[in-house]
Amino acid sequence: MPETVQLFVTCLIDSFFPNIGEAMVRVLNRAGVRVEFPSSQTCCGQPAFNAGLRRDARPLAEHTIRVFEKTTGAVIIPSGSCGAMVRHGYLELFKDEPAWLRRAEALAQRSYEFTEYLVDIRGVTDLGACWPGRLTYHPSCHLLRSLGVDRQPRTLLAAVKGAEVIDLPAADECCGFGGVFSVEHPELSAEFLKRKITNLETTGSPTLVVADTGCLMHIQGGLKRQGRNQRVVHIAEVLANI
Amino acid sequence: MSLKAFHSRIRQSIADDNLQLALDNNAQRRMEGRLSAFASVPDYQERRTLAHAIKADVVANLDEYLHQFITRVTENGIQVHRAEDSEEALRIFLEIARSHQAHLVAKSKSMVSEEINFNHALEAAGLRPVETDLGEYIVQLRGERPSHIITPAVHLRRGQVGQLFHEKLGIPYTEDIPTLTDTARRVLREIFLTADIGVSGVNFGVSETGTLCIVTNEGNGRMCTTLPPVHVALMGIERLVPSLDDLALFLSLLPRSATGQKLSVYTSLLHSPRRPGDIDGPLERHIILVDNGRSRLRSSPLSESLFCIRCGACLNVCPVFRETSGHAYLGRDGTLAPYPGPIGSVISPGLFGCENFGHLAQASSLCGACKEACPVDIDLPALLLRTRAGETPDRGQPGTGLPGPLKFGLHGFRLVAGTSGLFAAFQTLGGLISRIYSPRRTYMHLPAWTGWGYSKDFPRLAVRPFRGKWKNLKQEIDAKPLAALSTIPAQAIFPVVDKSLEDQFTEELTALGGRVTRLAEKDLPAKLADFLASRGLDRVVVDETGARVVSPELLVRQPDPDVHVGVTGVLVGIAETGSLVLVGGPGHPLTASLLPQVHIAILKASALVPSLAEALQRPEVREAAAAVIISGPSRTADIEMTLSIGVHGPGELHVFLIDDSDGV
Repeated sequence: MPETVQLFVTCLIDSFFPNIGEAMVRVLNRAGVRVEFPSSQTCCGQPAFNAGLRRDARPLAEHTIRVFEKTTGAVIIPSGSCGAMVRHGYLELFKDEPAWLRRAEALAQRSYEFTEYLVDIRGVTDLGACWPGRLTYHPSCHLLRSLGVDRQPRTLLAAVKGAEVIDLPAADECCGFGGVFSVEHPELSAEFLKRKITNLETTGSPTLVVADTGCLMHIQGGLKRQGRNQRVVHIAEVLANI
Repeated sequence: MSLKAFHSRIRQSIADDNLQLALDNNAQRRMEGRLSAFASVPDYQERRTLAHAIKADVVANLDEYLHQFITRVTENGIQVHRAEDSEEALRIFLEIARSHQAHLVAKSKSMVSEEINFNHALEAAGLRPVETDLGEYIVQLRGERPSHIITPAVHLRRGQVGQLFHEKLGIPYTEDIPTLTDTARRVLREIFLTADIGVSGVNFGVSETGTLCIVTNEGNGRMCTTLPPVHVALMGIERLVPSLDDLALFLSLLPRSATGQKLSVYTSLLHSPRRPGDIDGPLERHIILVDNGRSRLRSSPLSESLFCIRCGACLNVCPVFRETSGHAYLGRDGTLAPYPGPIGSVISPGLFGCENFGHLAQASSLCGACKEACPVDIDLPALLLRTRAGETPDRGQPGTGLPGPLKFGLHGFRLVAGTSGLFAAFQTLGGLISRIYSPRRTYMHLPAWTGWGYSKDFPRLAVRPFRGKWKNLKQEIDAKPLAALSTIPAQAIFPVVDKSLEDQFTEELTALGGRVTRLAEKDLPAKLADFLASRGLDRVVVDETGARVVSPELLVRQPDPDVHVGVTGVLVGIAETGSLVLVGGPGHPLTASLLPQVHIAILKASALVPSLAEALQRPEVREAAAAVIISGPSRTADIEMTLSIGVHGPGELHVFLIDDSDGV
């Protein structure tokens, strides 16, 4: 019986970047995993949670827990910050309610970020992907620091045929997204973004790889605004390329 | 009141090129310094975890630890005062000052004093407080508040300091940092020698022994706690560690995190006022234990913020601080938050009210660099989130500081995303609207007022979201066979290097700018005489050890600020940090290693120990009225992060290391 996993595609990929979701399903499939998509899923509730509006975050967290409780197998999340929300944020959100906390813990224990699942659980490092040219990787803050996932995406990228992976200077600096922060403090967010784009320029890479859709739309949005040609892609898109 | 001042200060900071350069410089240097300092601590993560657990225990059992601390401190002869709030703290201090008819107050750095608005209150009462840390002195002369908790003048460049000293101190304008530093040394030396009261903060109080531990680099902390007849220490009630062993652990973390040093130049361990037979040290020591909201913070969901040891590492790595400096952390009423940066955005609302300071917690992208840098592993992003949720002691408004439209939008989003049917309908609607708004470009140009549109474009929603594509995709993949798996590579292990204690000590102290001369004991008097003669030094302050090796006609036995060299013995040397431990007491004036420009220390190789923890286990350390751990010559980097040697303490440190290990 092959392993069956549940895809929590996240509301950003679902609504803005469905191609990333498709790429991810194909990659998981290639890694020997059968993918299910519980279609009543919506959003994990992170935007309201991060804004401090826990009463608005709560119904979405409860909804998400209920949706995945009806399923079995690992829950795969293709975005560091959504993964951090499910793994850590929910435990904080329900810290004073034992009944919900137990349900949140059960979901947290079976949830994995996409690259983490591939490398640490499936033991896959080479997916036979091919990407001619330069690539550079931006480690998203929540993925790197909250989930501790860094070696995994780098390992996967190192195995991509034809790709020349270049180090991004000051890679672990925030791109300035931060959810509501990017709207509430536009001036600060703009400064972080400027630095990130300057660092990207120095690599000479036409492609920036991320494993978080928030950073993707933020950095890509900045590049578009500045009329630059670099493309920001999700790691699933690179790995799906054969 | 509105957040206008806060937002406009942020914009001003970003537009200020001088400030931006200074802040970039700070971030860069401090980050590199911290990383290289921790390279010598392979078990850093274990130490962090342990430090976190110790602080958790202290905060959970604060009443017991505080009781033990107060008992020990009182037994040691220090007068203890407790202050519920800032008014009481100030009243206590002013009473002490009045009882000594004090006027001039020499002050070393204390964040508690910032918190209670100490200088302002003293001036209002007719006293003259003078900051003696170079950075603090500069901001005091400018009539400003510090912009960083350990580098108070981080926002200034050398030209601004040159102009300030020209105007206020009457020296010709200069941008030469050694000249500026030397000017401050000269002016402040007079303050130290004539002050009626010395005031300091406390980095750590040790419950088991009643030790007050104070770390400084310039030597001003030693001056303020040694020279004036009265010393008053201000301390937040949470700044305790249970034992000297725990202190050693925290001292391995604090300077590394703060300034990238293995130890600060001076680590003072104070136990009592001057004792009979001592020839220096204050006649009275007081400690004012300040609560000022800490007890309430302790029983709130933000209690972990009380684990903070005020190293400033979270400020140095914070991308927001890097753009703004501490001067942008404004309350709604326009006052400056006493504590800036990520930790400040938790404790300022936590101690002084969510209403006035809660919005500071919104000024974070939650990137988590602060948590990663925190030597006590405080979960700052989690605490920022709790602050945003209004989980402050005063039960703040959830989403405090969040603009109304955003609040409204998130509320609406909850209603939409609460059911998948409505969510899907809005996805379709959004896809259509964004297609109409931007028919050709995949990223839409939004106006600046939206916040997002200030610096970036926004992606169009997909006309067919993922959920609409799923059915076809599933059919496609179900038709394919599934594949097999590969393996994970193992990780590398770091090698361990072994060195003699003498070599390690010499290497470490040399790296700090100290000089080490290794010699046999019989050669010491001649070598020492040669050295003194070569420098033309004809008067020498000494302790007992110095008196035995310096020719009698040169000796000065009383503290004398006009003598340029001091020769002292050393209780133990610490190999891992290149440090000297000196204890005060009869025959051992600590001023001999403090006031002169040149300090010569006589250290026997047999008195070397590998680590700080072992040095602190020596009974002499806890029995002394005062002890100091010296790690190199006095230094500062308060102007443009540029290292200057010899501020208030000696600018030269020479160690004669005697090889007595094989009975010579």
